[in-house]
Amino acid sequence: MISSIVDIMTPFLLAALGGLVTELAGSLVIALEGFILVGAFVALAVAGATGSALAGIAASAVFVTAAAWAFGRFTIGTKANIFITGLAVNLFAAGLTAWASAVLFGTKGVVKPAGLEPLARLSIPAIERLPVIGGLLSGHTVFAYLSWILALALAVFLKRTRTGLRIRASGMDAQAATVRGVDPDRYRLIAISLSGFFCALAGAGLSLGAGAYIPNISSGRGWIALVAIYLGGRTTGGVVAASAVFAVAEYLSNIAQGTVAIPGSLLLAFPYLVTFAVFVGYAIYKKGRGKLD
Amino acid sequence: MSPELPAAKKKAAAESRWGFPAGLKAPAIAIGAALAAAMGFIVISSGNPLDAIGFFFSGPLSSPYFFGNMLNETGGLILTGLGVALAFRSGCFNLGGEGQAYAGGFVATMILLAEPAWPGWLGIATACLAAAAAGALVAGISGYLRARYDADELISSFLISSALLPVIDYLVSGPLRDPGSNLLATKAISPAFRLPSIMPPSHLNAAFILAIFLAVGMRFLFSRTVFGFELRITGGNREFARAQGIDPKRYYILGMAGSGAFHALAGALAVIGTYFTCHKGFSSGLGWNGIAVALIAGNAPLAVIPAALVFSYVDAGASSAILHTDFSFEAGSLIQAAVFLFITARFTRARFARSHFAHSHFARVRFGRKP
Repeated sequence: MISSIVDIMTPFLLAALGGLVTELAGSLVIALEGFILVGAFVALAVAGATGSALAGIAASAVFVTAAAWAFGRFTIGTKANIFITGLAVNLFAAGLTAWASAVLFGTKGVVKPAGLEPLARLSIPAIERLPVIGGLLSGHTVFAYLSWILALALAVFLKRTRTGLRIRASGMDAQAATVRGVDPDRYRLIAISLSGFFCALAGAGLSLGAGAYIPNISSGRGWIALVAIYLGGRTTGGVVAASAVFAVAEYLSNIAQGTVAIPGSLLLAFPYLVTFAVFVGYAIYKKGRGKLD
Repeated sequence: MSPELPAAKKKAAAESRWGFPAGLKAPAIAIGAALAAAMGFIVISSGNPLDAIGFFFSGPLSSPYFFGNMLNETGGLILTGLGVALAFRSGCFNLGGEGQAYAGGFVATMILLAEPAWPGWLGIATACLAAAAAGALVAGISGYLRARYDADELISSFLISSALLPVIDYLVSGPLRDPGSNLLATKAISPAFRLPSIMPPSHLNAAFILAIFLAVGMRFLFSRTVFGFELRITGGNREFARAQGIDPKRYYILGMAGSGAFHALAGALAVIGTYFTCHKGFSSGLGWNGIAVALIAGNAPLAVIPAALVFSYVDAGASSAILHTDFSFEAGSLIQAAVFLFITARFTRARFARSHFAHSHFARVRFGRKP
């Protein structure tokens, strides 16, 4: 059980961490969904062509980070509205992956390169037998471990490094940052590029984990990650906890699918409904707390 | 945006919370980019690029059938464009148009399939009003959450819409599906409840005229009524509105609800005038395209009409060119993406002032700037 929840949580966490950096920099990127989609496609296409999952991950990370940088450079350089350009990325990613899938693989459906196995799961011999901890620590793909290491690294980066502090300063008060000689645009661009990197990993984990690319494989995870940032109170630890909440919810819905006779197409609505409920609940809670202060 | 304002003030008034540039430059660049993006993909995908480009421009005008269908698409886009503009003008971002349009079409179909023993016009009017009410309710929830709990309406409207889509998909392809049809669709509505066609055999129908009337009506609402004035003030500057004794919360809710009503009406009229049934995904693209149209129009109601016309020309052109490419793909999202990417971008000379270029010798000579 815990093992499945960790699996579900990984892409949420990676995407939400990427979004968190941009939110802290004061330039929230709503293009996470598109970045994940492109990341998943590039990772699978390259891994399928080279036979190496590592090459797929690397290509995806490089490509999507570069794309995110270009997106940020354009948006900041032209003072465009980052919400609207972010929507452009999401729509473009959907169109581009469908088109590239038709060109490269001759199908708009599921792409499953021959000879590409789903990514291996690492089991840790002694620990895997333990209850709870076994499921938590053992039997995942490399992405789960990567997401934890990156969460920790990001927390340290944002709190303890010069660049991290400057990213946060850009988000807190851009004018004050400018007066202190920190160019907010520069640090926002770094944050946006980082979000591309994180989302590339989230996408690569989805497609390589399954050994196949399914159209719209991101299926709203980028949007749910945005809510996770908000729900996590804009802190790294909070985002980890919020991602866990969404993972548990999705796990329960998967269980429900097996036991109660709910039609599969109707279940597609469930993640959005849960996210909406959590979003509204948190807004009401926050408002209530605000009144007491 | 009334005509007596001096140009500078007019420009400032057009720039709302979302910072849209006024004037024709940005729309021209955005539409140019959309054309370039659509044509670029078509040219790469086609064995005979010149022919494909020919079909791109001539396709929508090649026969009354294609021309009428393009105008029909324009009518729908005017409605969703107005809906998006209404929300933007109140300071809200309605990202749930897709679901609201689908829900509107679904509600209208359900009412007309019950075949009430009414005259046609009464059935159509009831179906449209019910659909609009449903859309207003769905979007109004997001407006209320923004007003009451400060919950971002952009996220909440998107989430509600995304949850609605699979539910309606399920209903029309499952329990409510017409077993006699090959389509994933409900039964067809009775001919008594269909809008009169304008340009047969194309799909163009009376909904197009209604859309134009509503655009004029919204222009009147914005420029000549207290409601429209206060709504625009709220969207322009929330604090200023409050200082003037205007309650911004009221306009968040009404702006979003009105926006939802327009989207749902677009969906309902697509059923009553064009498809005569609610088939799976019939409204796909109406919401996203509406955002693109509203942005091109700078959220000015009358400008929505030409914006929708140009947009549907590009869209229809791409569709007809793709019929002649080696494989088919959806150009719709690529066109939308190009518009979104460029419509709020500002390619002004002010950029030079901030770059290293501005301090170079060349810049001083060329633009007469002091370092």
